[in-house]
Amino acid sequence: MIWLTWRQFRGQAVAALAALAALAIFLVALGLRIRNSYEANVACASCSADSARDSMENAYFGILLLSGLLVVLLPAIVGAFWGAPLIAREIETGTHRLVWNQSVTRTRWLAVKLGFVTLAGTVVTGALSLLLTWAASPYDKVFDGRFEPLIFPARNVAPIGYAVFAVVAGTTIGLIARRTVLAMAITLAAFVLLQILMPTVIRPHLQPAVTETVAFTASGARGLSISPAGEVRTEITKPGAWVLTPEADVLDAAGRPIAREVADECQGGGPGEALACLEAKDLTVNVSYQPADRYWTFQWLEFAVYLLLAGLLAAFAFWRVPRGLS
Amino acid sequence: MNPVLRTEGLTKRYGSRQALTDVTLTIPAGRVVGLVGPNGAGKSTLLNLAAGMIAPTSGTIQVLGARPAATAAQLARVGFVAQDTPVYAGLSVGDHLRMGARLNPAWDGALAQRRVGEVGLDPAQKAGRLSGGQRAQLALTIAAAKRPELLIFDEPVASLDPLSRRAFLQSLMEFVAELEVSVVLSSHLLGDLERVCDHLVVLTASRVQLAGEVEELLAAHYRLVAARGALDALPPAVRVIHAEHTARQSTLIVHDTAGAVPALVPDAERLDLEDMVLAYLTRAANASVTGNAEQPLEAHR
Repeated sequence: MIWLTWRQFRGQAVAALAALAALAIFLVALGLRIRNSYEANVACASCSADSARDSMENAYFGILLLSGLLVVLLPAIVGAFWGAPLIAREIETGTHRLVWNQSVTRTRWLAVKLGFVTLAGTVVTGALSLLLTWAASPYDKVFDGRFEPLIFPARNVAPIGYAVFAVVAGTTIGLIARRTVLAMAITLAAFVLLQILMPTVIRPHLQPAVTETVAFTASGARGLSISPAGEVRTEITKPGAWVLTPEADVLDAAGRPIAREVADECQGGGPGEALACLEAKDLTVNVSYQPADRYWTFQWLEFAVYLLLAGLLAAFAFWRVPRGLS
Repeated sequence: MNPVLRTEGLTKRYGSRQALTDVTLTIPAGRVVGLVGPNGAGKSTLLNLAAGMIAPTSGTIQVLGARPAATAAQLARVGFVAQDTPVYAGLSVGDHLRMGARLNPAWDGALAQRRVGEVGLDPAQKAGRLSGGQRAQLALTIAAAKRPELLIFDEPVASLDPLSRRAFLQSLMEFVAELEVSVVLSSHLLGDLERVCDHLVVLTASRVQLAGEVEELLAAHYRLVAARGALDALPPAVRVIHAEHTARQSTLIVHDTAGAVPALVPDAERLDLEDMVLAYLTRAANASVTGNAEQPLEAHR
């Protein structure tokens, strides 16, 4: 059965390996370049932290964003082009009736096929994810945005969970849809939908957020905004943490939102002066966040959520296939 | 020895459509069984149930004494060639034989190589480029070289030209002679079945109409021609399958389960297989049109 799976998969595997090799060379080269600029900008004696951050961001933000997108989308491609046709094409061309009548049970047939392609998708995605994690690590250290929606899912173990899920989902959707193109479309749509829901709706609640009232300080606040209705809002930064309240009301000592007149009093002069003026007024902000030390908890939780979904879909496929089609 | 196929109350529904209704059937081993019926009668459903490709809605089916496709060992005992003889278009003939060798513990590689050579298949050729006849030969070779006890074919020759059809049936009969294998094949081509089958199952409108050894069935069916009205009172053991009446004369096709006809009508005429099957198919066709099995069929000629 392994031979047949390999024989059917061979062409795609060779193409994938070639693409993987090219991307690996690119990422290694990128990683070395980033290390060079890190030495030059950050580790040098005379450089300031802010200018280092700016120059690194200018040089590598775009390319790392695109590389990250590639790592996030790779599982979708693997799921649609490897997972979805795995059963759907057999059903579409009727060849399942040939292979199901060899001396191999359908459960074993599915196990070998699904296991083989899941492994291949995991290896390809995992290799790229870990290479990108390595290449981008000096940048990530300076940039401080590990929880960013386009960085978190493109580093470490999360992409491996996506790959397992995408292949299994593609296969199971193919088993239900029974048409290759339809299965590919549904797989892509489902994967993209989940990737949108995950950072917006699901991921913030994987752990109960820490909510606390902090003093308003010039160094901890990233800008100030006044809404048309006159509410004064700010964004609190916490190094390495995932702040879930990017627009928080600025409160007075009694915990009431301050009027815009209070902010207006501090207008005039530069933005730094305005923040310092406000800091002196003894204001607070309620901030809700996921602490920095939960990064790995979130990586593994993300991995586990996708693995769990994959497990449920696989269980359905293994329940369904021995019962025959129709 | 276990019967190759035993079903009890076997029923398969697709949604509200009844594909197979209450089929109770026993087919002994060592036969070449022809499964006949019009399109949509349930032939494919019955064979797919026997191969374990689908599960019954109710009732039971046993193939060689066990549940179809339940284990790898059971799969090894049954060779099934599905309708349209599917093969992997992207794999070569040689790849298909390698697949057979890897997936079947009892694979007879020598037999497969010999058969492929005899029917003139090029091992390097992609299966997607084979003609319908060549594809059927390849599918037959794969099914036979796993050395099953039972070979099942679903309409193997329906889409073949007459020459390929003859060559396929020739190959099939050679396998039967060589491997001592039981065979069940479905077809709506009665001439083909007459040539190869020694056991017959007639299926129409999801029900079994007739089943038995061809010789016994032929010995029990007669065409009776007599003056109109002379045959109105037949004993209950003589069932009228089909009747045609003109103003003066009646022609009946009857199934005589008790051997009563020769005494009753000395010049009763025996039927050939085609006429016998056609009588059953016509009766079913009329019944489905009018809801009345006794309706004469002139109107449908």
